[in-house]
Amino acid sequence: MKKPLRLVGEICFYLVIFAILFVYLFPLLWQLSTSLKTMDEVFRGFSLIPKTPLWENYTTALRDFNVGRFLLNTILVAGLITLGQVISCSMAGYAFAKLRFPGRDFIFFLYLGTMMIPATVTLIPSYVIILELGWIDSLQGLIVPFVFGNAFGTFLIRQFLQGVPRDLEEAAEIDGAGYFVIWSRIMIPMAKPALATLAVMTLVSQWNSLVWPLIVTQADKWKVLSVGLAAFRLFRTIQWNTMMAAVVMATLPMIIILFLAQRFFIQGIQFSGLNR
Amino acid sequence: MPPVILGGVIVARKMSPKRKREAVAGYLFITPNLLGFLIFQLVPIVVAILLAFTEWDLINDPIWVGFANYRNLLKEPVFHLSVKKTLYFVVINVPVQSMLALLIAILLNRSIRFQNLIRTLFIVPWVSMAVAVGLTWTWIYNSQFGLLNEILTRVGLDKIPWLAHPDWALISVIVVNIWQFLGFHIIVFLAGLQMIPREVEEAAIVDGATPLTRFFKVTLPLISPVLFYDLIVNVIGTFQAFDLPYAMTGGGPGSATRVYNLYLYQKGFQFLRMGEASAMAVMLFIIIGITTAFFFRVVGRRVNYDLT
Repeated sequence: MKKPLRLVGEICFYLVIFAILFVYLFPLLWQLSTSLKTMDEVFRGFSLIPKTPLWENYTTALRDFNVGRFLLNTILVAGLITLGQVISCSMAGYAFAKLRFPGRDFIFFLYLGTMMIPATVTLIPSYVIILELGWIDSLQGLIVPFVFGNAFGTFLIRQFLQGVPRDLEEAAEIDGAGYFVIWSRIMIPMAKPALATLAVMTLVSQWNSLVWPLIVTQADKWKVLSVGLAAFRLFRTIQWNTMMAAVVMATLPMIIILFLAQRFFIQGIQFSGLNR
Repeated sequence: MPPVILGGVIVARKMSPKRKREAVAGYLFITPNLLGFLIFQLVPIVVAILLAFTEWDLINDPIWVGFANYRNLLKEPVFHLSVKKTLYFVVINVPVQSMLALLIAILLNRSIRFQNLIRTLFIVPWVSMAVAVGLTWTWIYNSQFGLLNEILTRVGLDKIPWLAHPDWALISVIVVNIWQFLGFHIIVFLAGLQMIPREVEEAAIVDGATPLTRFFKVTLPLISPVLFYDLIVNVIGTFQAFDLPYAMTGGGPGSATRVYNLYLYQKGFQFLRMGEASAMAVMLFIIIGITTAFFFRVVGRRVNYDLT
């Protein structure tokens, strides 16, 4: 008698969980659904599945609303910053974890000390620097402030590499390997999980970032997706289906990457959200 | 010891050649990272503090005005309003988000199938661009054709002007904020719950504790450090809310959703009052600092750091 009851309980449990998830994710399903409807259906339809999917909404968004250009800029900016951060933070993380040099701990504590300072504080002076350099509306202006990495990334890689046993380096040193070889041949392969975590966290935050690109770009040519999309709100008549198509193109790439790299996202969240 | 110059390559002379090489390598490896840190983090912090004492429109030379920016801000009704809106945002967002996340985390904290899939699905909104989900919700909230009002009409209720009315706009934006970041906190709490040793929970069951007593006497004290840290990070983050209000309402209708950072952005980059905007940034840092200190004093003492 007990077993079937247990099974029913199990099934109920999963039903509850997936019902919560369905409601929780419904706004995103609604977004996808609207992006494939005709305007007629948008205003009259209350159904989740469009009668006949209208893919033209996507081409309209890409062509007529400049979304193609914005998307390209976002890919370029988020991609380059992620690449730069992974390289720069892995170098600095290695030095802070493994190499001895005067001032090392002082510099590292300086990093940690500024981590809690709100990003808003550095916003205006950083803008002034970019303005003085003449980098408004340029690729440099968008990427240079972030491409060298940040305290979070350096901290993450340092913590990880501190757990790497010294024997590995010592063996390499005996074989005559220099610091660069140790970094590229031992540390980078060892740090792969941490580097992947840093890469996905950086990619998502840069792909989605709004404030910085908003203030350093004015011309459509250099706008990224977040900035371009935010301007949609100001249009007098909104074509909801085209807008939702643009919105899907902004969110779907990161959702796909989330599913491909689940483990690293979970680790990234745990690292930034747990008391260390 | 001879002088040591930070970040340079001049190293104490008494070092062995090997140690010297190691130190030089260390400086070289941190150089790109350190340069970025100095130019776009450390220097800007100092400059922001100085700019806050000036009046500057980016075009003419800055004029030193002492504490005038701070005095003017403290007298300005719009500034007060933005502080009030932000506090309201924090006070609603943080507790509701934490409680919901804790509830779901407890629900998920057992050996279940699809554990990874479920966790991943919960963070889908978190990886989605805030501007994009903001626009999606703008559509759902639409007064005439939006999904929510459609549902209200069908069950026979009156339509609600979600984003169109000052009384509703802020809470509507907060709901989206709670929704978007809920998954993040679920993952954090779930990790915290999984750190609790099995034996402790089992011992409580053996002692005949009811689920409710078990939650308040065992689970809650044991995850309190995780909860406490998450709360602080959440408060600091919510004080800086910008993307959702910017994308959904632009601060309107009227000033209904003009939160602190949105007003700071408008001051700096629309009205070109860089001095006042910098003073606002410095004040935000102070407000966050005081709040964090308050949390440590009032709540921090009750946090249990043993066992975890």
